[in-house]
Amino acid sequence: MTEHPQPTESLPSSPRGAAGSWTGYLVGPVFLVIAAWFLWGPEGLDIPAHRGVAVDESRIPTTPRRDLLGDPPVINIDGFDRTCMDCHRTFPPRPDTPARLLKHQHIVLDHGINDRCRNCHDGEDRDKLVLRGGTVIGYGEVEQLCAKCHGPTYRDWQRGAHGRTNGYWDTSRGEMVRLQCTQCHDPHIPRVPAMDPLWPLPGPDTLRMGVPEDATPHAVIHVRDPLRRAFGEEDAE
Amino acid sequence: MSARNIGTGDGNVCDRGSTSSAGAPRLTRRGFLGGGLGAVGGAAALAAALSPLRALDRQDYTLEKFLQKHYKEMAPEEMAEVLDRIRAEVEQRHGVRPDLSDVKPTDGVEFVYGLHLGLCIGCRRCVHACVAENNQSRSPEIQYIRVLEMPRGSMDLERGDHHYDRAKVPHESHYYLPVQCHQCANPPCVKVCPIEATWQEPDGVTVIDYDWCIGCRYCEAACPYWARRFNFAEPSFVDSKEDINPEMSYLSNRPRQKGVMEKCHFCLHRTRAGRLPACLEVCPVGARKFGNVLDPSSEVSQILATKHVLVLKHEVGTLPRFFYYFDEDYPRAEDHVTLPASSSAKPPSGGAE
Repeated sequence: MTEHPQPTESLPSSPRGAAGSWTGYLVGPVFLVIAAWFLWGPEGLDIPAHRGVAVDESRIPTTPRRDLLGDPPVINIDGFDRTCMDCHRTFPPRPDTPARLLKHQHIVLDHGINDRCRNCHDGEDRDKLVLRGGTVIGYGEVEQLCAKCHGPTYRDWQRGAHGRTNGYWDTSRGEMVRLQCTQCHDPHIPRVPAMDPLWPLPGPDTLRMGVPEDATPHAVIHVRDPLRRAFGEEDAE
Repeated sequence: MSARNIGTGDGNVCDRGSTSSAGAPRLTRRGFLGGGLGAVGGAAALAAALSPLRALDRQDYTLEKFLQKHYKEMAPEEMAEVLDRIRAEVEQRHGVRPDLSDVKPTDGVEFVYGLHLGLCIGCRRCVHACVAENNQSRSPEIQYIRVLEMPRGSMDLERGDHHYDRAKVPHESHYYLPVQCHQCANPPCVKVCPIEATWQEPDGVTVIDYDWCIGCRYCEAACPYWARRFNFAEPSFVDSKEDINPEMSYLSNRPRQKGVMEKCHFCLHRTRAGRLPACLEVCPVGARKFGNVLDPSSEVSQILATKHVLVLKHEVGTLPRFFYYFDEDYPRAEDHVTLPASSSAKPPSGGAE
């Protein structure tokens, strides 16, 4: 009898009474069960990851969209390099601009109200361009010609606010290449065409963003909002 | 004091301790069983709590790494040792011998980034170029730049869509708003870091010491531009030899590890060597501009001086070094221009309103 302490007697004010004496023995086994669960139980929270998408280097070129024409431009005809004047030397220039071209019919001119060849091309010297007023310039100075109509854009281009820059920002350490107008714009169709976007890289594979189901290029993502997708809803398009 | 006191565990340890200290401690069967169970259970719980340590890679947790100093406190020779260690690690793990360095900022240089909102077509080439340049994890995917497709006429970021998937861009009723780290002059992310693992460099770039970061993600929560990314899992690549860009620096694009933060750093390894960032060089429409704002002849200085400039969330007072700009509102040839009708033409008047 003396081996059994009587906590309720020594602690008459204990609100738990006799029940407190045996609940203590549960603590150990509970700890053991928890320990076993952690040690041999299922794997912890595993963040699901898809296989990943390699970046296609061929889709992200840093080269200009268009090749710069030479000055004068040289085209290869039947294996021989020719300038415009190699042929046009033998043809006297017409005094007018015909409404329909008889030659060079593959050229599409979609340049707004600027719809006459001789607005830009010199009639006499086909290797040159012509400004309003008759000043003849080479193909290498094409920005002078564009500036005749696109003044604000030319001003921005000079400052660096318009146009593409490549190379070095620090010109003391390397060359800063500012592309010319015709390295991005086709002078005959100057508007930059719409591009195919690179496929949307799947949202970051974090808990917040959910799991992208299919990361293949141009996969149709039916439900774009990952939170809605998580709850099995369809996007209202 | 005694095993009996521990074993009873009825919540009145203090009271019972005082009573037993009066008498001699006795080892009873009940006390022995209770105390023994408690001790074994406690030891097992401790072991279980430590069990995740078994999954750790021993190479990741060396004494050398543990004792590594903060970036700002490292002497040049200590940094050289650390760089050697990282080179060996990258080569061992990814099979690529990196050209790793620690590029320092230049005096008189403060980087600023401009983005022409009227030109951006949302092609996402910047995102991909950034991932390739900065060795971001391909799985799970981490990208620093988010391109938001925004409905025209709205600046409500809640209406932006990251996940647009169109055959052609730009879509005529949307414009595109790429967001990346704004390298704020008053950065909330730096203020909340409890251990100074992220800070502003003299050239204006907020950087992270990946070896110092504890991954608490306070900075991610503090950033109003949603610019910080967390490595929830060990970064992995599709093919390390192909994917890893060997040109690296300590504070920028060296491979990160699980459990650390990362973010855009203006391509430090390139820009501190005078080159332009990767996202800028790849932009097909020339919407991105980068340079030294302390040089009045630089592109960004001229843009700031002459263009309409927008600072995203200016009201939060972060003073970003990343800004958006627009052209003047002059009509373009392709725009549909509505001329005012002759009846509405009013003589210039000063006191009409």
